[in-house]
Amino acid sequence: MSMTTYILRRVAWAVVASLIVLTLTFMLLYFTPDTQLAEMQFQAAQAGEDPQEIGDAYESYYGYDQPLHVQYVDFMGNMLSLDWGWSETRSQPVTTAIADAIPYSMMYGVPSIIISTILGIAIGLYSATNQYTRSDYAATFFAFFGLSIPDFWFAIILLVIFGVMLGWVPILFDTNVAIFSLENAQQLILPIIVLTLSSIASLMRYSRAEALEYVEAEFVKTAKAKGVEGRRILTHHIFRPASVPLATILVGDLLGIILVSSYLIEVVYGIPGLGMLSFRAIVNQDTPLVMGTVLLPAFLTIIGNLAQDVAYTVLDPRIDYGDS
Amino acid sequence: MSVDTDTHGSTGTETGSQETFEDVDWERVDDARRSLSLKAVLIASIYIVFTAGVIYDYVIKTPGTDTIGTLGVNLQALDWLYILTLLSILCFVVVPLYENKRMTKYYWRQFRKNKAAVVSLIYLGVIFVIGSIGPRFLDRPAVEPSNAYQPPVFMSVEEWMPVECAGEVSGGRCHGTWAHPLGTTHEGKDILVSVIYGMEVSMQVGLIAAMITITIAAIVGVSAAYFGGWIDAVLMRYVDIQITFPTFFLYLMIVYLYGGSLFSMIVIFGLLGWGGIARIVRSEALQRREEEYVLAAKNAGASSFWTMRRHLLPNVSNSVITAVTLLIPGLILFEASLAFLGLGDPTVPSWGEVIASGRDDLEYAWWISTIPGVFLFFTILAFNFIGDALRDALDPRSEGSGE
Repeated sequence: MSMTTYILRRVAWAVVASLIVLTLTFMLLYFTPDTQLAEMQFQAAQAGEDPQEIGDAYESYYGYDQPLHVQYVDFMGNMLSLDWGWSETRSQPVTTAIADAIPYSMMYGVPSIIISTILGIAIGLYSATNQYTRSDYAATFFAFFGLSIPDFWFAIILLVIFGVMLGWVPILFDTNVAIFSLENAQQLILPIIVLTLSSIASLMRYSRAEALEYVEAEFVKTAKAKGVEGRRILTHHIFRPASVPLATILVGDLLGIILVSSYLIEVVYGIPGLGMLSFRAIVNQDTPLVMGTVLLPAFLTIIGNLAQDVAYTVLDPRIDYGDS
Repeated sequence: MSVDTDTHGSTGTETGSQETFEDVDWERVDDARRSLSLKAVLIASIYIVFTAGVIYDYVIKTPGTDTIGTLGVNLQALDWLYILTLLSILCFVVVPLYENKRMTKYYWRQFRKNKAAVVSLIYLGVIFVIGSIGPRFLDRPAVEPSNAYQPPVFMSVEEWMPVECAGEVSGGRCHGTWAHPLGTTHEGKDILVSVIYGMEVSMQVGLIAAMITITIAAIVGVSAAYFGGWIDAVLMRYVDIQITFPTFFLYLMIVYLYGGSLFSMIVIFGLLGWGGIARIVRSEALQRREEEYVLAAKNAGASSFWTMRRHLLPNVSNSVITAVTLLIPGLILFEASLAFLGLGDPTVPSWGEVIASGRDDLEYAWWISTIPGVFLFFTILAFNFIGDALRDALDPRSEGSGE
């Protein structure tokens, strides 16, 4: 199989996975008793009206009286044409609410991804080439700390120390400051630290383990014997082969960690990003918004996995395009 | 628990040099194979008693009454699942370790090299024992407004903070007492009791979900590798889909639609989190499938089930145990995160919930959020350390790269 067919198959597979996710969502929604309807019927009955009539009107308004397959086609059509419904609590379309929230998530997400990628790989490589030294142990300890500390708990503790006690950072997130201003940097520093810490640990561990496979490799020894300078060995002989498996963890695993961590971080720091939007939607029982904000991470994960597979094929010429 | 490739039953013939193939009493060999060992009978009877208990609880006894009326013990679905998990750990971890003493000693020597892991094991053992016994004897932490904001023992706060200081008041400061060794929350719940209840919750989340994960991952992975062909293709394509779907967000959706409970959370984590481990099992089992002893067993007429059970499963168990140990801390963290968001089980006193309850008071009453957080942190750290040590001790491939 050629590389193009392999990539095309992967893309087709991502589309199938997305359709399955959407279908599952539809089934979940379809078989769930509608609390909003029950509430309306209850109120109607109390006001002396016929609950049945209200129910029928409600169902025909939302198209719930249609047969299952019609509803399904409607649902899929709306989802694919990005008509994700109307958010009652925010009085705006779900897609607009999401589009408004994304910049806030990116404000701390992007710097954190960049920092943790560069630092994580650098520390991992350093650990691998200086195995069993004091700094390697320190890095390992740091990685375990980052891997094990509950991010929401760490976020609160940092906020209390630096926000409440020392007063170095504001306690409430202010959406009115300019994006590239000192005030904004000040209020984003803690979220960036927490998110970086939770994502850097696995990167460090992986890059250390991957680099270790090449530290003792024959071609590295040859390069050393030929008198190649240390830094060049690190970047050209160790980092290059190690970067292939690293690229895969980078997208797949990191995305998973960041999506979950950012949810908690936004709730703790009051950042009106995607996580906060989703959390508010759950608390306020805003079904279309809940669906939108939960489906988006699912799609992001599917796309991330696709990107990971494609990156693998492009980066590694040795890959086998077999069936598994 | 590992490389015990089977010798009894399949080749019991080479007892003496004079004995030839014709001399073998095949009736006897067949009987020996059929007669069940004492161990198998014991394990089977344990599971039969368990099943009988479940049937009694759900079918026979009158609904709404306690499981064991005289003792006032009422078992929920979650408790039954937890009992099943503990029984399985007993039958498939403790018993084999006890039987293969030499192997256990070898593993222990490897494991003992990692001091952090040994300390972690002791710590988790203590958490497990206290978490299992404590909730049987302590009442659930109750809301008691007059008892709010008691500081931990040896600590003190400004006199005005607690409504009524339980300890002695001196110099305008309220001192903590042994009545509430770790202090109380803003609702007057005792933190030590909450933490002890939280231990059980965390252990339940980790162990039950791990058991479900191991069971499914082992069955799926070994079957995919052994049968190959379309079974392999279907199973692995399914794993592909499952892995792409983020469990955390699926659970959020289900909590939103149906309401959260610890039982459903654990079952969802268990049923949807096994994809990665099934892949590991499959790739390990694929390597083993071509080994001589597996081919020999097949040629000797061993059934598929026998081959998988006796030759493939024991040889992949090392990597499964390591992978699951590293999976558990993530699950415990998930549960705590969801409880922190208020999307967990409202009826269960979890660490995440206590952390959330002290969030707004951290400046004045630091102990409410800090203490359960420390327990959560060390529990996750301990599992990570043990997983790392197991990887070094059990996985021959990682030799040399150990810490």
